[in-house]
Amino acid sequence: MREGSTDSLVALAVVFAPLSLLSFGGGNAVLADIAHQAITVHGWTSEREFADLFALSRAAPGPGSMLATLIGWKAAGIPGALIATIAFYLPSALLVFGAARVWGRWRGSPWHDAVERGVAPIAAGLFLSGGLVVLRASPAGWPVWAAAIVTTAALLRWPGLHPVPLLLGGAALFGLLAAGGT
Amino acid sequence: MARIFVAFLRLGATSFGGGTAGWLYREMVLKRRWIDDRSFLAMLGLGQAMPGSNGIKLTVLIGQNLHGAAGAAVALIGLLMAPFAIVLAVGAAYASVGQHGLVHAMLDGVAAAVIGLTFATGLRSIAQGTPGPAAIVIAAATVLGVGVLRWPMLPVVAALAPLSIALALLKARRR
Repeated sequence: MREGSTDSLVALAVVFAPLSLLSFGGGNAVLADIAHQAITVHGWTSEREFADLFALSRAAPGPGSMLATLIGWKAAGIPGALIATIAFYLPSALLVFGAARVWGRWRGSPWHDAVERGVAPIAAGLFLSGGLVVLRASPAGWPVWAAAIVTTAALLRWPGLHPVPLLLGGAALFGLLAAGGT
Repeated sequence: MARIFVAFLRLGATSFGGGTAGWLYREMVLKRRWIDDRSFLAMLGLGQAMPGSNGIKLTVLIGQNLHGAAGAAVALIGLLMAPFAIVLAVGAAYASVGQHGLVHAMLDGVAAAVIGLTFATGLRSIAQGTPGPAAIVIAAATVLGVGVLRWPMLPVVAALAPLSIALALLKARRR
């Protein structure tokens, strides 16, 4: 962890604020781009660290992607964590706040409907891309792919499955495999 | 106001595994009855068309509904404060033990499960939306550009979004 220089704080804000306004369908939608920016463009994390921080951000409670907070922290300490969190959450929060007043008037118009329908497949594609990018960044190779595919299939079959046991199960399974393999 | 803050603070600290929208529904609609079903669904629909984390958008809208702009701000700060502190504590713990192979392995297991959740959500939302050929092609093009070729997301979305919205308009008109 490096202490925050002004440069890296500005870079964090410049990376996360636009992503906030692009994350249609939720924070996961911009996962692929967060990975690209954090690993390749700015070198805030290695691929290994990104995969670990991603998992940590999901093991902790809270909304969507606290990943921004962790990457900000990694890049520039506590100030970085604050800047990245604010940059990632505030723009979309302000937008939805403003939109709540205007949007109601458009309900029922063909535009309202078309925007909702048009954005949906892109959001879905971005979700899938985010998962793919993290899988490719993970150095653990095929077992992670296999476990991800099994989890996907299980969730499609039984949508009511609670996520927490799945997360714990994944940790326990891979922990045991690693302990047995060494 | 204090009650709004405490309610969202608690929610933030206990909503494990993502899916904040579900937790909000349970707490605000079923338990506290601050919001009725109909307005919750309207907020969810509005949020869906906007960018941003779903939990954040709902929090802003519920806060706004309860106590205007101040309510929205208090709810948002309440929701984020605990996860912010917890995730940093976890991050600091990771920094001190993260080099251990077992930690990597366990985090890989968590990541695999989370990716499964992500894939399932993406696939299910394609199936639930308009499963026309156009939507599937758009979703596939997004995956190809951003996920496989790793193009930056901004130009990909800027190119596909107008196309996708235009196709949806055309389809609605033809009916």
